[in-house]
Amino acid sequence: MASPAAVRELQRDLENKANDLSRIQKDIAKNHQVRKKYTIQLGENELVLKELELLKEEANVYKLIGPVLVKQDLAEANANVRKRIEYISAELKRLDATVQDLEEKQNSKREAVLKVQQRMQALQAGKAKA
Amino acid sequence: MASSKGPASPAARVAEMEKMSVEQLKAVKEQTDLEVNLLQDSLNNIRTATTRLDLASAALHDLSLRPQGKKMLVPLTASLYVPGTLDDSEKVLVDIGTGYFVEKTMVEGKDYCERKIHLLKSNYDQLLELASNKKTVADEAGAALQAKLKQLAPQT
Repeated sequence: MASPAAVRELQRDLENKANDLSRIQKDIAKNHQVRKKYTIQLGENELVLKELELLKEEANVYKLIGPVLVKQDLAEANANVRKRIEYISAELKRLDATVQDLEEKQNSKREAVLKVQQRMQALQAGKAKA
Repeated sequence: MASSKGPASPAARVAEMEKMSVEQLKAVKEQTDLEVNLLQDSLNNIRTATTRLDLASAALHDLSLRPQGKKMLVPLTASLYVPGTLDDSEKVLVDIGTGYFVEKTMVEGKDYCERKIHLLKSNYDQLLELASNKKTVADEAGAALQAKLKQLAPQT
């Protein structure tokens, strides 16, 4: 009587929660990818900074902007690379916070899905619970 | 990619594996195999980069031996070369990454190549150690899995 409807409702609930869970997991995977990209860029920029610091004052620094090599001031190049490193580090910290939040959500969703599954099993076994 | 493989000593690891079910063991082995493959890919990348740097270093050395004004063919594209003359080979333009180029002397340029090659070699060694440790764990998991399977199917 009320049982098959209840089962169907539980199934719909289960589907919704499972979809939410897979969405969160996809977000976590994307987060990891972006994080990897930023980490690589951070490493490269730090190498560049080290090289720039080894240079003497009068050394010539050029930057590749599109197909054009433009002469840059050493101080300016240093400042640019430093700013970029700061920006990337800030982005990485932000991503860390986001992924932690996402992982918490993932865990709680997993628990919710489990609970719904258990209720479904109980319903199908008992067939007398509401 | 942080995956703690539990106890660090091999004997303790094997003991842990014996306690796991076939399913869990299979999962552990697959996970470790994936990691080993990733590490191997990284190792290959480092080897390629080191080779390129070696070539650059050799080219630099060759360039330093050539006299100024020497006739040469300059590549404009992969299939188009244009005749030109060698200008001052004492100055070289070095790509240090993220679109920055630095003018260096020939000696500094060679030194740059050497430094980069050393850095890559040390990274390679570190990675090699990591990879062989992971491979050991993967092999242990595989052996434990085989033993378990044999246990479960003693007939025939």
